[in-house]
Formats: sequence, structure tokens, C-alpha cells
Amino acid sequence: MTFLGYQRENGTVGVRNHLLVLASVSCANGVVEAIGRELPEAVAVTQGYGCGYGPEDFRVSHRTLTGLVDHPNVGAALIIGLGCELMKAEFLSREVEGKPVEALVIQESGGSQATTEKGLAIARKLQQELEAVERAAVPVSELTVGLQCGGSDALSGVTANPAVGAAADRFVGAGATVVLAETTEMIGTAHILKRRGATSEIGEQVERLVNEHHAHVVAQLGDLAGMVIAPGNVEGGLSSITEKSLGAITKGGTTPLQEVIEYGARPSKRGFVIMDTPGYDIDSMAGIAAGGAQLMLFTTGRGSVAGFPAVPVVKISSNSRIFEKMPGDMDLNAGAVIDEGKTIDEVGQEIYDLALEVAAGRHTCAERNRSAPFNYLKQGPSF
Amino acid sequence: MSLAEQSNAVIHHEDDNVAIAVRPVGAGEAVVVKAEERVRAAEDVDAGHKIALCSIASGGMVYRYGEPIIEATGAIEAGAWVHIHNTKPIPGDVEM
Repeated sequence: MTFLGYQRENGTVGVRNHLLVLASVSCANGVVEAIGRELPEAVAVTQGYGCGYGPEDFRVSHRTLTGLVDHPNVGAALIIGLGCELMKAEFLSREVEGKPVEALVIQESGGSQATTEKGLAIARKLQQELEAVERAAVPVSELTVGLQCGGSDALSGVTANPAVGAAADRFVGAGATVVLAETTEMIGTAHILKRRGATSEIGEQVERLVNEHHAHVVAQLGDLAGMVIAPGNVEGGLSSITEKSLGAITKGGTTPLQEVIEYGARPSKRGFVIMDTPGYDIDSMAGIAAGGAQLMLFTTGRGSVAGFPAVPVVKISSNSRIFEKMPGDMDLNAGAVIDEGKTIDEVGQEIYDLALEVAAGRHTCAERNRSAPFNYLKQGPSF
Repeated sequence: MSLAEQSNAVIHHEDDNVAIAVRPVGAGEAVVVKAEERVRAAEDVDAGHKIALCSIASGGMVYRYGEPIIEATGAIEAGAWVHIHNTKPIPGDVEM
């Protein structure tokens, strides 16, 4: 089975062919924004970090940012650095092969305005080259599909999440990979996920991951540990984190768990995998994207509007009310299970079909809205 | 006739002892799951919230997706609204 996409030299396939203009540190954001204003076709990504942190945060940010530069949807990249930062532009540009990656350093290029001018000249040329490339038939089995939920309500676990699970099973059946994340939302289901492990070792890994994360949440938040359920979920009818988590993990479908990977890592196995990310949607999507997910299926009950830079995020509403109230933000309505008598499997097929259309070029609402908040995991202090 | 016209609540698994209201259910109204009346609502229940399909003893488990999700903190009558006011997380879960 194939779709029309972009074959990359490293064997992966892209569903988009973007020019990424990325700040290696927040000090470079101004130049990145200026380039983005003059060249709106580029995906201009600013960030909040890149310096003032310790080795573990450096390691995670390096993996995440490199994952973005090396992303299958990115056809070329321009990194803007300041010069004195920890996350030097060259650390992101020198490791990525198979596509044009350029770097400019503000302190070496004559300052902000000169760097902006030079950057625009490079970016315009790269953008022109990318637009000339045509799509070709590439295997569906090369897709990695991220699974995310945010602003959930009690219906998310009734309609949208089980429907995404049905779609996930179809992707796995086609030889592709699906990534379930948000470890916080697995708390209370460690014993269930353990049973899903393709091997007993994998089962033990996921059980350990979830239980260690649970202990971490309790240690960090103490009496406030219950805050891991956002207030919206309680008003929507969810009564415990276990209940919410059961409704969340159903997104992963029913196939055996093939691998447990860390934040921002690339899966080495195909099929259903779990990535360790926080429940915070924005950080979570960055980890999933850094792992190479070319698109994401994102369910919401209360109306999350977040997309992600360079990665199409398909928004699936759990209820018809939000689909009607926020029509420019929702791509598919799983509330049809309730209001139109559709089965979970029917909606799952619709999600799968829409995802393949998106892979072949159809824009999501978030892409049209240019809704692409970017932030990634940072766990240590700033110095 | 569509599911919407026949039913006002759903369950995920045959072991579940609560149904999820998919639209507001009024006190005294039939709770209909897959076109079958299961119980009468004992009180108003909002969409997305749980309705007990049978009585649940104090300390008894509430089942959804076939798994225990919360524990009753008092006796819950059939048709009652089930939420944080009459339940608590199961042992080992995160306290609210």
C-alpha cells in the first residue's frame, strides 16, 4: 500500500516537504521571526531554551532539536544561532545528512539585521528548490503516526479515543508504526499495559515506566498529586486518574506492544510502541515529532487547537458540540458515534482514510490556522 | 432508528456496572443502552457522567472498560449519579 509522499535519502518518507528555520537558542528568536515574517511559507520555529541548563536537559534538547532538523517532513533546514550559547547551531546542523542544512551565527554574521538578510537569501533559495520537488508513491508502512489527546472530556474515552484505536490497528496492520505517549495518562493502567507486551521483558519495561512515573508524580506533588487530572476532566465526568487513563490508552488500539522508548527517541520496531512523554500536550508532541512521527491523531473533548511545526495534527472531536462550536479547528467528529449512530469501527476507518489523505497533502485545520506551538521537555533548573 | 434516538447512554464492556450518559438524563428517565432500558435515573445526570446500572455497596468497585476505576464511599443506588461525591480512587491510584 502506498501514498503520494516524499522519499528521503535516509529511507524515511515525508508527508510534507518543509523548509525549517530553527533558533538553536531563544536569543536567536528575533532573527527567526524576522525571516518567518518575510517568508511565510517557511516553518519558522522559535524556542524557550538552548542555554542556561545542565547536561541532562542539554542531552534531551539536543535529541529533540536534531530530531526536528532530521525530520522526514523537513526537506531543508536553516539553523540560526547566537554564538555563545550551549546549544550551538553547528551541534544541530553537522549531524544531519541527506538534506541541505545551513547554519548562521548572529555574532559571526554581523548582528541581527545582517543575519536576517543572509538568512532570507538562503531560505528563499531553499524554499524554491523544495517547491519544485514532486510527490511520488511511497509505502504506508514507512509512516509513524503519533497518538495524542488533550483537553479531554469524559466522552473522549467513549468515542474519539476508541475510534483512534481502531485507526491505529489499521496502521499497524499496514506495517506502519503508532506511538502512544503521555505517561502521566497511563497511571493506573500499568497492569493492563504489561499484558499487552509482545514479550515479558517489554511488559515489565512498561510496568516499570508507569509505576516509576507514578511515584515521581506523588513525590513531586504530594497532596496535590490529584492535580494531574485537569479540572476540565472532572467537570466532564471523569472521577479518577485510572478511569481517565483507561480512556486514554484505548487510543493505542489492540495490537501487542513492541517497544518502550524514551522522549524524542526514534522507534526501532514497527507496530504499537509507547514513548515516555509528559501529559502536557505541547512537550509531548515535541517528543513524538522528534521521534519521526510524520503526522499525529489528536483527540479532544473540550477543544484543543494546538498543531505542531512541520507535522500535520489531525484534530478529532469527541463530541458534536465542540465540532460545531469550533468548526475551524476540528478535522473530524467522533461525536457521530453518539449523534449519527456510527460505530467506533466506522469512525476508525474514517480517521484512517483521512490520515492517508493528510499524508498525501490535504491540510489540517491546525495547518491552515498556522497553529504550531513549540516547546519541549526540560526537567532541571535554569542556571 | 439511529442509536441517538434509541439510546442515551453507553457502556464499553459487559462487566461495566456504570453507563456513561451521552446526553443529559433527567431524574426518572429511562437509561437506555443499545436500545435496551437498563435502569431509571434516580437523579439528573449530565452528559459524560456515570449512572449506576445496579446498586453498588459501600466499598464496592465501580467497573468501566471491564476494569475497576473507583470505589464507592457509601451505598450507591441503581440509577444514581456516580462521581467524586460518592466515590474515591482505588488503592494505589493517585488521590484527588
